[in-house]
Amino acid sequence: MGPAPAEVVGHKPLDGGWGWMVVLGAHISIGFAYSTPKALSIFFKAIQEDLDASYSEIAWISSIMLAVMYAGGPVSSVLVSHFGSRPIVMVGGLMCAVSMVTASFGSSIVYLYLSIGIIGGCGLCFNLNASLTIISKYFLTKRPLANGLAMAGSPVFLCVLAPVNQFLLGQFGWRGSLLILGGVMLNSCVAGALMRPITPPPVPSSGAPTKNGDQPDKRNTKMKQRCMKKATKFVDLTFFNDRGFVIYLIGNVMYIFGAYAPIVFLSAYAISQGVEEYSAAYLLSIMGFVDMFVRPGTGLLANSKWIRARVQYLFSFAMIFNGTCHLLCPLMKSYPLLVAYAVFFGMGFGMVFALIFECLMDLMGNQRFPSAVGLVTIIECFPMLLGPPAAGFLVDIFGDYKYLFFMCGGVIVTGGLFLFIMNMYNYHMLEKENLGKTRKPNPTSLENPDGANNSEEQMELNETKGTETNTAREDPGLERDKETI
Amino acid sequence: MTSSWKQQLVQVLLVLVSCGHGDTKTAAPTPTPLPPVTPLKQDAKSAVLTGKNFTERVELSSPVNMTLSCTWKGDQDKPPNITGHWRKDGQEIQDSRVTVMLEDENYKLIQVFSVVSEKDLGNYSCVFGNEARIDFILEVLQMGEKRDKPVVSYIRDFVVMTCKVEENKPIPTTWNWYTSNGTDKEQINTTASKRFKIVSEERETKLKVKDLTLDDAGQYYCGAVYPIGTSVGQVELKVITFMEPLKPFITILIEVVVLVAAILLYERSRAKKDSAEGTQTNAEQNTEPQGDDKGAEGNDSVRQRK
Repeated sequence: MGPAPAEVVGHKPLDGGWGWMVVLGAHISIGFAYSTPKALSIFFKAIQEDLDASYSEIAWISSIMLAVMYAGGPVSSVLVSHFGSRPIVMVGGLMCAVSMVTASFGSSIVYLYLSIGIIGGCGLCFNLNASLTIISKYFLTKRPLANGLAMAGSPVFLCVLAPVNQFLLGQFGWRGSLLILGGVMLNSCVAGALMRPITPPPVPSSGAPTKNGDQPDKRNTKMKQRCMKKATKFVDLTFFNDRGFVIYLIGNVMYIFGAYAPIVFLSAYAISQGVEEYSAAYLLSIMGFVDMFVRPGTGLLANSKWIRARVQYLFSFAMIFNGTCHLLCPLMKSYPLLVAYAVFFGMGFGMVFALIFECLMDLMGNQRFPSAVGLVTIIECFPMLLGPPAAGFLVDIFGDYKYLFFMCGGVIVTGGLFLFIMNMYNYHMLEKENLGKTRKPNPTSLENPDGANNSEEQMELNETKGTETNTAREDPGLERDKETI
Repeated sequence: MTSSWKQQLVQVLLVLVSCGHGDTKTAAPTPTPLPPVTPLKQDAKSAVLTGKNFTERVELSSPVNMTLSCTWKGDQDKPPNITGHWRKDGQEIQDSRVTVMLEDENYKLIQVFSVVSEKDLGNYSCVFGNEARIDFILEVLQMGEKRDKPVVSYIRDFVVMTCKVEENKPIPTTWNWYTSNGTDKEQINTTASKRFKIVSEERETKLKVKDLTLDDAGQYYCGAVYPIGTSVGQVELKVITFMEPLKPFITILIEVVVLVAAILLYERSRAKKDSAEGTQTNAEQNTEPQGDDKGAEGNDSVRQRK
């Protein structure tokens, strides 16, 4: 699994320069990925009337889009490691545009499921995965900041797309709006163009040269063993041997389960407390607005000397903060208190999402991150789809929103505490392991040990310094090769 | 018929006066200890005037005997009696002038109106003396959802317009749709024009128009027919050609192509500059667009790499 020195040579992260343009590209790309499913809900009422569908049938469009976006993670990872980020983001942008344009001609709800849900979801999936990967390639020391800035794309685009969609709907109806939105999503291609590739074509370490359309969900039409073998090339199950990865995964699954339901039900809860409809909608805008600034801020904070080595602790703190907000929400009965809740919710949500992929990069390192993120997103698909309906079910049974907030807050706080405690344990174990290991220039399973001494980034930083001497040694070789040409 | 009517009127008046409900703003349906001869329901509204003017809106859905009672606290000088009368839509109702006595520092005017059809709706006012006036606006139940945004659709496409009545309001007897013809409203006949289809349920009605043309644009009205009258809601339809959203789409398309080309050309020119300098000072800045299907500029850097 470890990278050969030659690969690390071409891989010294830029940490600046063109990297900031890449962050801009990732910002746009991630912005589209996360905000489109939510922003589309503005058209739902109009589509519902025209196509004579029920509200839940229409809401499936967003759910399918989100599900495909997350479930396509492993496929996207493999494609990115083969072809690099740039072509994948451009293809993703094209797919999104095609999906919206074809949807504008739709005359049945199933047609919309296919075009927006599946094709659009695939396009967004390519966008998301490739953007995260290229950030990990361009940044090391400033990576938390880059991640925070890139993830800030989601609230920014949501705040922009929501009023734009309203305007388009009034001017052109939902069909024309989808057409124009398709054009807007072509800007992902511009974002892709910014993502200048950086490494020579890497030998795919997971070795997945074939993509015969075997889905990671293992539809066993061929012999089981062959299927299993090919499937493991998509979804590298050896990740589950990794302690840090499993801890991260469990904590994340718990978080995602409780994260989206409060957003979905916040307006309804506010209206039930006597707030009028317009002001209730404002709460979500406030949350988005706060989110916009908190994400880069958290990135900056995570970049600082004291936090960088212990960023997993900051992540667990952010989760606990978010969960506590939800637990306190049922106490907020008046509008000013609800506004305060929205502000703190935005803060907590932004902090978690700014760090969510940074922590994975921190644990996995640049080489393993692409496949790891694919695996994480496909597993996160399930809590994401199950969370809001489960919460809605609670509301239906008890007739009271407070149980929803208790459940979500409780699950998130438990996840945060779990991460906190298990990370302490993990750091401790790693420190013990590292004491027994000799320092190699290319560590294979280097995780996040405790303290400022042996953090992975510092290891990689030392590595790059070490490899600078390596490159010095290798350069004569390269120059010799040049002369032979 | 009329004698029993008057009998009933007097009895109702007596009941109301003896109840002495004076100052309440909310109405309570008058209890009828009368023999249930009349098929009409009874209802009552009352108001207290402290200034010079007061207006109350009353929504009705079926015929009713409406008792309206007005209480006025009087002016600076309170004469022992003043004349009061009733008006409908600004016109004084005949034989409605009465002399009002001052009781408990208040003047009271009470009158029962039978509201049976749409012409009986309107603005009923009780007037004390010459100026002090309370208006009761009797009107048909208004539809809840006010739609201020137009429904947009395309030529040769279809559109569905809906009108709804809220859950807690009574169900209309039937639904009608009208299109505006100049200043008039003309009812839509679904048998005459095949393009129009009306589907009505209890609380909701849908008008589906197929094969739209530009002429179909304009105001459409849905009418909820109640026993007392028709409540009208309004929907605006806008019909546009497909070219209209296509123009912004093509603009954005051009912008994207220009930006992508600019970025890639910039990159190519930088790569050429770097190769022209013939140095490989910064390994990171040497771009290797290996998956780049846009150009063959990879050749330059590839040559150096080997």
